[in-house]
Amino acid sequence: MAPRDVTVPPREAARRLIEQARAERRHLLEPEAYQLLQAYSLPVPRHRFVRDAEEAVAAAEAIGFPVALKVVSPDILHKSESGGVRLDLRGPAAVREAFEAVRTGARAARADARLPGALVVEMARPGTEVIVGMTRDPQFGATVMFGLGGIFVEIYRDVSFRIVPVAEPDAREMIREVKGLPLLTGYRGRPPADLEAIARMVLQVSRMAEELPEIAEVDLNPVVVHERGVLPLDARVLLSLEETSA
Amino acid sequence: MPHPDPPRRDPAVFEALFRPKAVAVVGASTQPEKLGYQVFRNLTEAGFAGPLHPVNPKADAILGRKAYPSVADLPEPADLAVIIVPARLVPETIRACGRKGTRAAIVISGGFSESGPEGERLQQDAVAAAREAGIALVGPNCQGVNHPYHGLCASWPLLTTRGCMAIASQSGTVGAALMDWAAQEELGVSAFVSMGNRADVDESDLLDYFAADPNTRAIALYIEGIKSVPRFLRAVAGCSKPLVVLKAGRTPKGRKAAESHTRSLAGRDEVYEGAFRQYRIHRAATLEELYDAAKALAYLTRPAGKRICIITSSGGSGILATDAAENAGLDVAPLPEALRAALKPVLPAHCTVANPLDLTGDATAAMYRQVAEAAAPHFDSLVVIFGDPIPGASEVIPAASPHAVICLGGADVEREERARMHRKGLPTFPTPERGVLALSHLTRF
Repeated sequence: MAPRDVTVPPREAARRLIEQARAERRHLLEPEAYQLLQAYSLPVPRHRFVRDAEEAVAAAEAIGFPVALKVVSPDILHKSESGGVRLDLRGPAAVREAFEAVRTGARAARADARLPGALVVEMARPGTEVIVGMTRDPQFGATVMFGLGGIFVEIYRDVSFRIVPVAEPDAREMIREVKGLPLLTGYRGRPPADLEAIARMVLQVSRMAEELPEIAEVDLNPVVVHERGVLPLDARVLLSLEETSA
Repeated sequence: MPHPDPPRRDPAVFEALFRPKAVAVVGASTQPEKLGYQVFRNLTEAGFAGPLHPVNPKADAILGRKAYPSVADLPEPADLAVIIVPARLVPETIRACGRKGTRAAIVISGGFSESGPEGERLQQDAVAAAREAGIALVGPNCQGVNHPYHGLCASWPLLTTRGCMAIASQSGTVGAALMDWAAQEELGVSAFVSMGNRADVDESDLLDYFAADPNTRAIALYIEGIKSVPRFLRAVAGCSKPLVVLKAGRTPKGRKAAESHTRSLAGRDEVYEGAFRQYRIHRAATLEELYDAAKALAYLTRPAGKRICIITSSGGSGILATDAAENAGLDVAPLPEALRAALKPVLPAHCTVANPLDLTGDATAAMYRQVAEAAAPHFDSLVVIFGDPIPGASEVIPAASPHAVICLGGADVEREERARMHRKGLPTFPTPERGVLALSHLTRF
């Protein structure tokens, strides 16, 4: 009766990831953030961490073209601003070139940036983009945010908040209260988006905030919502890194 | 849990605050232009039944009552002390009151945390003195407490009208304005508390108290920031009465102003918005909405849904009400065929039988009544607009109904009918927009 599954339980794995990163005094790397989401039964894009250009090509072939390639560095928080993200790579040559380019960009942004490798990620089907986030408010404690992506959040601040713990009806309600809701419920012949999948994501992020107090901030932005399911295209998880009392 | 869970207050301190047996006014003055005079005079004139003792070392008597040179000289314990002395004397005054059996103190004096580091230190001293003596402290830097059901006006202006809305406010003037409006309308309040700097007693304590207060049916709260969010949310969760909150400092500059006014952490508006929805707190955007929503929640019954029928004598008002309803998410639903048929013989020939239902300037109270009775079973609530002088308007809608009554443009007849409605406990609203928005609060959660 030897157990067939000897892997650690997912929540325990999440905890270990966080402990490891905090011990190294850094936030979660993107592949680790995806592992965290998976530990909370949330979907992530197919991805593979690679250390060199040849591994990147192999990963792209395994995932299937086209792919995106993103720099992975504990020292680069805003990847796109340092040219650290390349999208829609359609063949091995493009992947090789992108691997070198994102590293050059990262070095230009920060000369001493640690560059363990890059992430090769599937290109998601287009859909409506939303954001789901968690921040800790000095008064209210952990709060979960939902909003429509792009200009809707940046210009119109079309977002809604709830404080943790978020209950299921709250999660549904906060999705329904953004002004841009029609973009999700079927606008100009678009199929209605999967609001239930967004609600599940909101609930799991709330749970994460409750169970893992070391997480300071979660930013899933953008998250593509399809007719069925959601897919985060980027995941940033910041940890509280102040000195723990010895 | 990440949040501490401090104990609730001993109900005895609220008894001393709202239903004291004897009141000492430390810093009562003989000079009419001083607050120490006005507050003492209001206390003497509001009908407080127990002993009222002025404390003033330079006076023999104030307003005909013997004055005592110090708290220690008081002839009997005063469970409530109203303190209007310079800030630097407040901590010692509180200690002296504690020795005299005081359980609650209202510190009206300013010059505390709102005035700088020295004031902040004095405030801390005052709170420490109060805690040590087992005294609940309201204020400092506040406009006092008014509890008309106990004849207690430890505040200004002098108002004594009893009603069923409780008001707690971080700003004295804002709270007093609400209370003044309620008195003007003969609706009154169940209690008024100006919280000032909230050094000790805060909105969470008052929510706990109002939740159990038999005279309070709805609570109106003006705040610039919540003092302790975990305590507040616990108090809200434990309060079955509707709570309306006007949270000032919605914009970045407003938030900055709020942070310097009573030194509260104003917080991000979007987070407040979410938390308020989550905890079923009615949010008001303006002072009028705070008042109107509290009034509607205190005096009207809850409609079963959002379908409304607008009955008016004024076409313009009916359109304004329709716009307001659309904006507030109420449904100005078409009249059912059965209702249209029933109304035809009742209405003047030139009326358009639609929603809004314009009875035109020919409308009489009898016609309103027939129409309202016919329409009510088909809708969740009625919006009844008396847009002309309509004698007998006060007989159209009974008290304790889910209907919003709006009176405007009726001059003397309107004032008389409106007063009758308020006296029977049916609130009215001064404009279609305000009435409809207030009504929408009843269907919000």
